[in-house]
Amino acid sequence: MIQVDHVTKHYGPTVAVDDVSFSIEEGEIVGFLGPNGAGKSTLLKMMCTWLPPTAGRISIAGHDVAMEPLAVRRSLGYLPEHNALYDGMRVDRFLQFIGKARGLRGGELSERVGWSVEACGLQEVYGKRVNQCSKGFRQRIGVAASLLHNPRVILLDEPTHGLDPLQVVAFLEFIQSLAEGRAILFSSHILSEVVAISERLLIINHGKLLADSPLVDLKARAAEKGQELEETVLDIVRSGGNGQ
Amino acid sequence: MTTTTVSNRLTPGELIAGTRIIMRRELTAYFDSPIAYVYTIAFALLANFIFMNEFFLTGTVDMAGYFDLMPLLLAFFIPAVTMRLWAEEKKQRTVELLLTLPIRPMQAVLGKYLAAVGLFKLFLVSSLPIVVMLLVLGEPDLGRIVSAYLGLIALGGLLLAFGMLLSALSGDQIVAFVTSALVGFVFVLTGDERFVAVVDGWFPTLGVGTFLYEGFSVMPHYDNFVRGVIELSSVVYFALMTAVPLWVCALVLERNRT
Repeated sequence: MIQVDHVTKHYGPTVAVDDVSFSIEEGEIVGFLGPNGAGKSTLLKMMCTWLPPTAGRISIAGHDVAMEPLAVRRSLGYLPEHNALYDGMRVDRFLQFIGKARGLRGGELSERVGWSVEACGLQEVYGKRVNQCSKGFRQRIGVAASLLHNPRVILLDEPTHGLDPLQVVAFLEFIQSLAEGRAILFSSHILSEVVAISERLLIINHGKLLADSPLVDLKARAAEKGQELEETVLDIVRSGGNGQ
Repeated sequence: MTTTTVSNRLTPGELIAGTRIIMRRELTAYFDSPIAYVYTIAFALLANFIFMNEFFLTGTVDMAGYFDLMPLLLAFFIPAVTMRLWAEEKKQRTVELLLTLPIRPMQAVLGKYLAAVGLFKLFLVSSLPIVVMLLVLGEPDLGRIVSAYLGLIALGGLLLAFGMLLSALSGDQIVAFVTSALVGFVFVLTGDERFVAVVDGWFPTLGVGTFLYEGFSVMPHYDNFVRGVIELSSVVYFALMTAVPLWVCALVLERNRT
């Protein structure tokens, strides 16, 4: 469902993403872990067609991001790290705008907006302006907008940012409930969140993919060394992947 | 890498539908905030003051004075409309949201442009009471007035297109306003005889002022419309000078991403 082949991104002399490859199949939730500035957001921006890769190929739901950007955008739901929303719009109008731009019309639009409002718990703010909503609600509005068109691929960049601990738990459960029939890439710099939701981890730092491993393997490796999982992950990040 | 597959092509219906969705969002944004009301009232007050001043001075039943002063007013007023169009999207990062929807940059550009043209037409509607008043007081040349309004719409459309491009290029509302106003004044002032004479005086052998007047300025073409003459060359000038900045604006949005 998601295929990333030898993708590199340069910003002038800076290498933001360096020859990264991985694939994610239908039904998988994969955690994308790395410190701030590791290259997670840049890679997600390339996957959602916002940035062109300097080299390599990305395919989303069978569509090449460089050749078929519109088809890719129709297939995926993307929540960017900064989750920018149109502040002056009412939440209901915002969701309807996003739905229409994604090709939903009439009864289907109403049905999907209704589903996303209920699934993301937006009833309380439905008629309010976006700029009257709390940070937690703003994050949920962004999630609702990214799921409106029932995408097969979901890219979430730091989606729990701004949510309180109870909301985080509910949100992670909600994302898990979406996994069937979809491929989900969940980017975060918080290990506990990624571990709670994923069965496989991608670890990135300085633009390089340091590990692509099932969570059970990482846990086994930690147990072998008598470490906590967090220490093992930190070792991988510090060693630049050489310790694998 | 240059071919595209069928699933990436838009049908004309999809192209129009996407443009219309963006246009409606923009119009809603204008009327959900004080922008449309404040701009329209300010424009109506200024424009009607200009007319009434000229009307009482000359005592003639026409709008010549009004249409003569409009280009300078628009050179200042249009940038106030266009400065936010892309600069605000970039500052608030909503441009990433907008351009990762399944729409093309050109659809977003056209949608925003058409909404701005719609707002500009609302400005012009505020001057229609003048036409009604002239019809009551005498027999103005209606054909000439209609032609002049068409010229005004073409002039406004051109300035809106350049303003939108400069908003996309600058990414900052103040810079967009200043540069758009500067470009607008250059378009208008290069059509002024005194300006042409002064610039020609600076470079007597090159005839820069005359060259700018004949090849660049909007005024000879706008003046044709105001005189009631719709020449093909003027129509082509306005069409090209509007389409090119819109096209470049879409290219800027496609390539200038971080």
